Amino acid sequence: MGDRDTSKPAFVMEQVSKVYTGTIAVDKVDFEVFPGEVHALVGENGAGKSTLMKMMAGSFDDYTGKIAVNGQEVELKSPAQAKRNGIEMIYQELSLALPISVAENVLVGRLPKKGLFIDKEKMVEETTDNLSKVGLEHIDPLIPIEDISQHEAQLVEIAKALGNNPSILVMDEPTSALSREEVERLFEIIDGLRKTGLAIVYISHHLPEIFRIADRVTVMRDGKRIDTRDIGDVSKEELVQMMVGKSVTEFYRHETYSGEEIRLEVENLTRKGFFHDVSFHAYKGEILGIGGLSGAGRSELAQVLVAIDKKDSGSIVLDGKEVKASNMAQALNEGIAYLSENRKTEGLATRLSIRDNILGALVPKLSPNGIYDKKKGDPVLEKLIDALSIYPPDAEREVSTLSGGNQQKVLMAKWIAVEPKVLILDEPTRGVDIGAKVIIHNAIEALAKEGRTIILISSDLPELVSLSHRVMIMRQGHFIKEMQKAECNEESVLLAANGEGA
Amino acid sequence: MSDELVKKTDTRSVTQNKFKRIVNVAGIYGVVVLFVILGVVLQALGIINNFLTATNMLNIVDAVSMLGIVALGMAFITYSGHFADLSVPTTMALTGIVAVQMLQFGFFVAILSAVIVGIVIGLINAFAIGKLKVNPIIWTLALNYMTLGVIRVVWANKQIYPDMISSSEHATKLFDNIYRLRFFNKIALPMIMLLILVVFFHFLMSKTRYGIQLKMTGAALKAAKFSGINVEWMIGSAFVLSALTATLGGLTVTSLSRVGAWYNGAGYDFKAVTAIVIGGMTLAGGRGSIIGVLGGVLIIGLMNNLMTLLGVGTFSQDMIRGIIFIVVVGLNAKSLRSMGRDDA
Repeated sequence: MGDRDTSKPAFVMEQVSKVYTGTIAVDKVDFEVFPGEVHALVGENGAGKSTLMKMMAGSFDDYTGKIAVNGQEVELKSPAQAKRNGIEMIYQELSLALPISVAENVLVGRLPKKGLFIDKEKMVEETTDNLSKVGLEHIDPLIPIEDISQHEAQLVEIAKALGNNPSILVMDEPTSALSREEVERLFEIIDGLRKTGLAIVYISHHLPEIFRIADRVTVMRDGKRIDTRDIGDVSKEELVQMMVGKSVTEFYRHETYSGEEIRLEVENLTRKGFFHDVSFHAYKGEILGIGGLSGAGRSELAQVLVAIDKKDSGSIVLDGKEVKASNMAQALNEGIAYLSENRKTEGLATRLSIRDNILGALVPKLSPNGIYDKKKGDPVLEKLIDALSIYPPDAEREVSTLSGGNQQKVLMAKWIAVEPKVLILDEPTRGVDIGAKVIIHNAIEALAKEGRTIILISSDLPELVSLSHRVMIMRQGHFIKEMQKAECNEESVLLAANGEGA
Repeated sequence: MSDELVKKTDTRSVTQNKFKRIVNVAGIYGVVVLFVILGVVLQALGIINNFLTATNMLNIVDAVSMLGIVALGMAFITYSGHFADLSVPTTMALTGIVAVQMLQFGFFVAILSAVIVGIVIGLINAFAIGKLKVNPIIWTLALNYMTLGVIRVVWANKQIYPDMISSSEHATKLFDNIYRLRFFNKIALPMIMLLILVVFFHFLMSKTRYGIQLKMTGAALKAAKFSGINVEWMIGSAFVLSALTATLGGLTVTSLSRVGAWYNGAGYDFKAVTAIVIGGMTLAGGRGSIIGVLGGVLIIGLMNNLMTLLGVGTFSQDMIRGIIFIVVVGLNAKSLRSMGRDDA
């Protein structure tokens, strides 16, 4: 592999775009990666990096723009085409089959055969060969994947990709499930692969990793490429600034809030293995932001607050009274509601109508004596469809036929409908277009003005910083920092979330 | 800004469906009417006799009333997204044989014992599937065979007869009458039970808090849980309801055959699922109605009647029912896929 020409790019994308219904996810992006280079791709959630990556994987047949591999213009309209052109993907979630052997996973689709049967000797030999490229030659190729560690499985995944002899390797957050030492081992392997002349695209939002491993970095924001820099020419602060950008200033709302009446007090709340000794309070009418990286324990905290999961210790006090809810229905009755980050699985019943969804958590209240009073829900329904401009405004319409933004508005409406005292919003605008985002943000502020307490969990920094009156930073299951509105900006939050005091 | 913006970006068709929704429910009865017309045409052509008579129409409903009772209860399981209750056949057999055995203590003790046995079976299913989340098909299939074993062991593989066990002739007569009591000389008791259940279950499924929450549970289990619905209880209750209607069916079948035996109820599992699916209740849950299931039951009744009048043999009838089941499930899956869903 060492004979690859490193002066010409291995992979070039020129002015590529991809439009989803109504939103431009990738907007005329140029991107290139040379043999022997690790090119990092960074950006906030929704910046378009995963869409760009899917484009490389051949997931779309309707992208526009030019793509060239090793100087030859190619089409990447199916995963098979991408593979044929030497592009291999390594996803965040492993794509290995757990109960079958390492060898069968590594050589899937090209198992060596002797007549009708598998040539076992050759299979073991070829697998060991591939495993040695990632430093796993000590593993028995015949044991099932479920018997090796997560870290080893991640490396097997890489070995599997390398087995196809790719010229371009795309890695999406490959370290998300690894410990610090394991990450370092992975980086050593990537260093080795770089020396063989492989072109590597490395997607991550852990900035320290990027400075450790990348040669160049491209920043994306709002579907556009902002800049590409050599890693030596850019500082962490500059990178953050580019990711966050200035085009989002329209979202900045510099409303301050001085809370007086305490609504929610949480003392030493612990769910072992997820978060520990978490204490905070929130006022009436306050929007309390919780920032942090994914996996910091924010959603887990929320799910304990609404009694979906059980706490191990600690107390939750609402309006001076301890909350003793043992299931979500009781928590709802007490006035705590939770909008899940997983719209399609935990949030909405997409096969049911807008009506069934918006009124879904309100059914007990609409059913005096157990008999469901359909008419009683109509005013709430009409009001919310109108207030959130849910389109089409047809209550009987099945939710799966709505756009993502409108589905998210339905989910928001569902929790506004129950009129909670404390509403926990977990990524309330994930993956929605600007129009829906503005509407949801307005609704959140209106709720706070009514005196409801909002706990806003968001990885969307502009959103978190502009809406929140106060931000708590959570890292590895602990609250590590509290920031008042004045000291809160996207840079400081991002740095704090990465565990670095700014 | 947003109103305009949002409205422009959504270009998908708005004219889904009030019409479609009506057709979906009416469709089942459209098929019922088609079968009746088919029968009328066959009669007009002289191929069959005595189809379009009041007596035959009553016969049709009479013949499917037991199936209807069982299917209506099981429909709650399908609606909850848990497919079917395959323990129905031996639930019917066991409750029937228990009732016959307990006739020695009088009619009401017999009925009460059967109901208690039915509830116990329902609770076992409720616990295993609702709480422990065992696969409903595998679990109820296994329970069906276990119950079969219990019947064979306890009654030493024998059949028992009401008139030989009963405490009095009066009790025997009452038990015989579960199936045989007729009002105005025509309308049988099971038919009345079916009608009462249709009204009550339709109300329960579509007009109560329980029904609405069951729909949510069936359509999206996790979303239901995250809406504060006690999904374990919802699922469990559906299995208890199914066991109760199976008990009612078991008592009726046993009364009809005048014998308590392990084979009472055989075949009711598949027939009930067929009626439910033909009636427009999708196996994915959260969709369909009791009125639809009644339509499915009537279609099966009409089909059986026509096939019998045409002289089609029992085994061929089974074959035809199997084919129809496969076609209906297949068509359903296909139409869902073409609508961009694969949840059939």
